[in-house]
Amino acid sequence: MNRRTFFKFSWGTVGFGALISAVGVSLGAVVRFLVPSVFYEPPQAFKIGDPADFPFGPPTFLVDEKIFVFRDRDKGFAVASAVCTHLGCTVAHFQSDNRFHCPCHGSVFGPDGAVQHGPAPRPLQWFEVTLARDGMLRVDKDKVVPPNYRLMV
Amino acid sequence: MNLIRDIWQSIVRRDPLSTDKGKSELVFLNVWLHIHPAKVKKENMKFRHSFYLGFITFFLFLILLTTGIALMCYYRPYPPQAYQDMKDLQFVVFMGPFLRNMHRWAAHGMVVCVFLHMCRVFYTGSYKKPRQFNWVVGVVLLLLTLGLSFTGYLLPWDQLAFWAITVGSNIGSYAPIVGGQLRELLLGGHSVGEAALLRFYVLHVAVLPSALILLTIVHFWRVRKDGGLSRPVWKLKPKTEQLVTIGAPPAGVPLQAAAASKDKTYGLMEVVTGKPIFETITPEEEEDTVFSYPYAFVREAVVLMGTVTTIMVMSLFLNAPLEQLANPAKTPNPAKAPWYFLGLQELVSHSALLGGVIAPALMVLALLLIPYLDRNPSRRPAERKLILWLFTLFVVANLALIVIGTFFRGPGWALVPPWVHVVGGAE
Repeated sequence: MNRRTFFKFSWGTVGFGALISAVGVSLGAVVRFLVPSVFYEPPQAFKIGDPADFPFGPPTFLVDEKIFVFRDRDKGFAVASAVCTHLGCTVAHFQSDNRFHCPCHGSVFGPDGAVQHGPAPRPLQWFEVTLARDGMLRVDKDKVVPPNYRLMV
Repeated sequence: MNLIRDIWQSIVRRDPLSTDKGKSELVFLNVWLHIHPAKVKKENMKFRHSFYLGFITFFLFLILLTTGIALMCYYRPYPPQAYQDMKDLQFVVFMGPFLRNMHRWAAHGMVVCVFLHMCRVFYTGSYKKPRQFNWVVGVVLLLLTLGLSFTGYLLPWDQLAFWAITVGSNIGSYAPIVGGQLRELLLGGHSVGEAALLRFYVLHVAVLPSALILLTIVHFWRVRKDGGLSRPVWKLKPKTEQLVTIGAPPAGVPLQAAAASKDKTYGLMEVVTGKPIFETITPEEEEDTVFSYPYAFVREAVVLMGTVTTIMVMSLFLNAPLEQLANPAKTPNPAKAPWYFLGLQELVSHSALLGGVIAPALMVLALLLIPYLDRNPSRRPAERKLILWLFTLFVVANLALIVIGTFFRGPGWALVPPWVHVVGGAE
């Protein structure tokens, strides 16, 4: 390799390398730009009200939060997600058979949220419910708990 | 009067159309027309060869562009307003429903015609050498068309839109590893909301149409470079005969310049040795051609008018649906995706990963690779029976799934024949 080809080769490598890195960094920046830094979405943890306001028996469906609040005389409070684990449709709780039915693809979940029928891959989620300092019930959707989790008030 | 004549002649510089020179200059001196050749093969213009499906698809896209731009004047991509604007378009804006109907039916028509066009190209074997890559471009155009339909589906922000996109975007999240992140990137959030509406709007009115226009240009250019439409199957030459380049010397003999003629002029075009990659025509075939003006242009104009008229008449009598305002708490039962995705939804109802991700990915991959996997050089149907049957099976399976998803699925996605009326449903 003589001097001329050496420099040709070196400058080519440097130039091409610079171009590739510039394109790479720019693409990375574009992808990062598209990922929102702030989500203007409802908070994952929220208060749902006074424990005394929830009736015994059939669960209370909270529309905006998409959760079912169960209250049992002996066992206490439990909160189940109303979002089907298949494709995100909102399930309904049928009092007649005490099961959750998804309208989209016919998934059926048992009283504990386990899949009994249909294409849903996972059971319905149960969320942690605690008593806040002011005596209100507080649900945290980021904290998934086992189906037997109960809050006694 | 001289002034007017001068102005006219400065705009239109060709010879009169009564002359052959004028007819060809009309084509190649005009930037919009020069995608055509000056002369076209008579047989290639036959309706029963192409059914003009490519043209119809393109004209539908022109309708979509014009009506889409008009609709943008009254639409704000922001959750409550978006739906109000749809109501305004329906009840307040002059010709609002008509324009929206045209946009809707042209969009559905485009999905149908792109698909039929693909079938025509397949059955006539027109994806074969040298047109393999143009088939790939065509498949990408099909995907872009579906993407445009999908993003447009959310914009009315009614129950239909919201749940179709919720279900559709959740299908994507089953893709391994990156699925969930891709979905968040597309929606700009964790669920279908304000950010998703804005992103779908940007994709629908800027990103995807630009991509579609650019690729359409490539698609058309390559058709032109490959010698126009493929020859009708019934005009194929006997197997043994080779393509002959006009005036080409036999292999090994150097290329010689023809003697210049005094009554002709020559442009300098690619004086290089080697065979052209595109289809060339024999002198006998040359006699089979006619000038694009008026023969091809009149046919295209008729197809354009027919397409626009059909969409207009449909838009007078069939109204695009608009349901209630999107309500994230209440899923309609059954919640169905747009009809062309109902085959996919049918698959998804059995298995989200297998039916929603793996099967469609394999389908797209197979479509993209068809021209490279099919090594059979013949375009004659009799010599490619197996692959014709396979493709027919693919088409029928897709249609069957769509028909099942559209007409045979009731509340809770239960199998309900269309002649049974479900009163009330499960809830």
